[in-house]
Amino acid sequence: MPSPTERRFSRRQFLYRAAGAAVAVPTLSAILAACAKPGQLPSGVTLLEPARQDRPVTLPLYGREPIATDAPLEEGATLQIYNWDSYLYKKTLKEFTAKYGVNIEYTTYNNMEEGIQKISTGQIKPDVFWTDIDKINKLVMAKLLQPLNHDLIPNLEKNVWPVYQNPFYDQHWRYTVPYVTWTTGVGYRRDHIDDAEVAAKGYDILWDPQYNGKVSIYDDYRTALGMSLLKNGIYDLNTGSEADLKLAADDLVRLLDATNARVSINASYSAFPADEIWLSQAWSGDMVGDQYYLPKGVPTSVLGYWYPKERNGEVNNDTMVIPASAQHPVAAHTFINFMLDKKYAFENFADWVGYQPPQNSINPTELVADGVVPKTIPEAVVRQDDFKKGHLLLELNRDTDQLWFDAWDQVTSGG
Amino acid sequence: MASTVQEPALPDAPPEPKGSKVAHEESSGVWYPKWYWPSFASPATIWLAIFFILPLYVVLSVAFGTSDPIFGAPLPVYEPWYWSSSSFVHVIGRFFGAAAFWQPALLRTFVFVFLASLLCLLIGFPVAYYVARYGGKHKGLYLLLLVAPFWISYLMRIFAWQSLLTSDGIVNSILRILHIAPNPIDWLSGKPITVILALVYGYIPYLILPVYAGIDRMNVSLLEAGRDLGASPWQTFRRVTLPQSKQAILAGLVIVSLPMFGDYYTNDLMGSPKTSMFGNLIDKTITQQGQGPRAGSLVLILMVILLIPMAYYLRSTRRAAEGEG
Repeated sequence: MPSPTERRFSRRQFLYRAAGAAVAVPTLSAILAACAKPGQLPSGVTLLEPARQDRPVTLPLYGREPIATDAPLEEGATLQIYNWDSYLYKKTLKEFTAKYGVNIEYTTYNNMEEGIQKISTGQIKPDVFWTDIDKINKLVMAKLLQPLNHDLIPNLEKNVWPVYQNPFYDQHWRYTVPYVTWTTGVGYRRDHIDDAEVAAKGYDILWDPQYNGKVSIYDDYRTALGMSLLKNGIYDLNTGSEADLKLAADDLVRLLDATNARVSINASYSAFPADEIWLSQAWSGDMVGDQYYLPKGVPTSVLGYWYPKERNGEVNNDTMVIPASAQHPVAAHTFINFMLDKKYAFENFADWVGYQPPQNSINPTELVADGVVPKTIPEAVVRQDDFKKGHLLLELNRDTDQLWFDAWDQVTSGG
Repeated sequence: MASTVQEPALPDAPPEPKGSKVAHEESSGVWYPKWYWPSFASPATIWLAIFFILPLYVVLSVAFGTSDPIFGAPLPVYEPWYWSSSSFVHVIGRFFGAAAFWQPALLRTFVFVFLASLLCLLIGFPVAYYVARYGGKHKGLYLLLLVAPFWISYLMRIFAWQSLLTSDGIVNSILRILHIAPNPIDWLSGKPITVILALVYGYIPYLILPVYAGIDRMNVSLLEAGRDLGASPWQTFRRVTLPQSKQAILAGLVIVSLPMFGDYYTNDLMGSPKTSMFGNLIDKTITQQGQGPRAGSLVLILMVILLIPMAYYLRSTRRAAEGEG
């Protein structure tokens, strides 16, 4: 599942695609591999079962050890960061350089697939990489990551929510450290739609024909179908049931018919604050960020965000990892630890990214009181409990993924 | 009266050199080896081999290949004996059969491309005609103005249209002021007309230029002869101008319609899933992990579809050439 940060690639997505869908171009190594045995796993690797909350995964180390604790910091080096665009606050990066004497070069990818592909071909050799949790198994199986030295990242135990001290997708956090969290709900314009109406209708309001032309949903197969499943009372967001997926897809077709909804990855932070869209499927981080996208003179009180009051909607997080090919692994550990520091994590969130890090020190009530999150969207604050009550879009095995894609295909083919 | 008008006579074309013997010998008696003249075609041949035949084989290998077991990246299979047709069969099933939910997009593509090409012709022909016949000393300027939109990227221009066409955009404001549409029209919510007009907008210069060149080349004395022989302006147009510019029109139509068949960004930016076209099917399939073979199959199917207008065009130009010979 592309993370909400896919919004960042916004309009450049077309340039990227027009460039010939780099993802689809077979690499030389793939071609050579194909000459031998088409479609085989690398030697010594067995397919890892996708992680689930009730089926935690301990990722194999494949004989690899973390770097030594006493390894010296590569001072004066340039740390290579490979991330979504605008997903780190420049000021925070400068503070890192000032503190540790390590420069930073920030390279961006437009979507997860591109990022992974460039790392696996060696085109880019980053020291720190950002990935969604549904890609972790794959990155590990492809031996693209290195295990972390916990002694170099003490801030995880010190500052981060207990739920991430031993996450189900990476037991003993061998390879990953959480970056930010989000929920997926419905953004609405309070200058046109009452809080009470949204509260009463919930997801159904996106299907309401009276908002014809004013609705948008995300152009992401997992996120869009996931919401349709939830609307229909199906809470297994990683279902392999063809019937469930058909139900979800048919319902989304009804949504498109009823409201002529836009299917767009960036409507929630472009057309929505511009008042062209009144109802948008929305990631909580987009809603928090929207206060900066509103035209001048429009108060933040026009922003509304609905998430099921039982808190049983879509919720997720992404992670920071160190690629196996990292040239400055000590600086990379130092950087990750730095981003988990409560001061810098908060600054990065509140002043720039809008997506909330899972920090103990961040108090949901204070976030609203301090104006970090607009008063009208308290629901956009992510709570630790959400990861118990909410539902995550996780990795699917290939056949199931195919079913999901086929269902989405039906929605977006304009039948 | 009209029926007595004779078909215009074609000017005598110089006889084409026939047979290979002529090509091998110059009048001075210098003899060239047999490979000499054909070798002139080798740059183009090599170009074709590297940039067309080889990639085509890769597409075949992707379409009948598999995908990487971890990341789902397409894995082309180059040995035809390992090829699997399952993806191809699946894709065919999407167009015809019980789960044919791609069929509407296929039909829509034909309709959109047909209407957009027709509109290009209806709008573009008079413009080309005017510039070629009546442009006078301003011809160069007119041509410059026609090509001017190319100075700005198509993508940029479509983004501009996006903001012009929003519900509170300039287009809707003008329609409201002129009392044509009192309520704002939601142009961008998957309206076929928006997508068709956007296609026309994007491709029309490609039609005007070849048609202009064709009309510009036309022998004016033929038109004068037509009129002298008593044909009305309409008859002259129908029986002289149109047949004379048929090749140029066909060339223009081929140039605009072929890329339209594969166009996806126009619909991405101006339409919605409700106006999906063939190009969109390829685009969304190719960017999805593990779908490489299906995307390859779609590309092959589109190629076969495009062979039909292409073959017609080639046959027609050959006939025209034979007719002149």
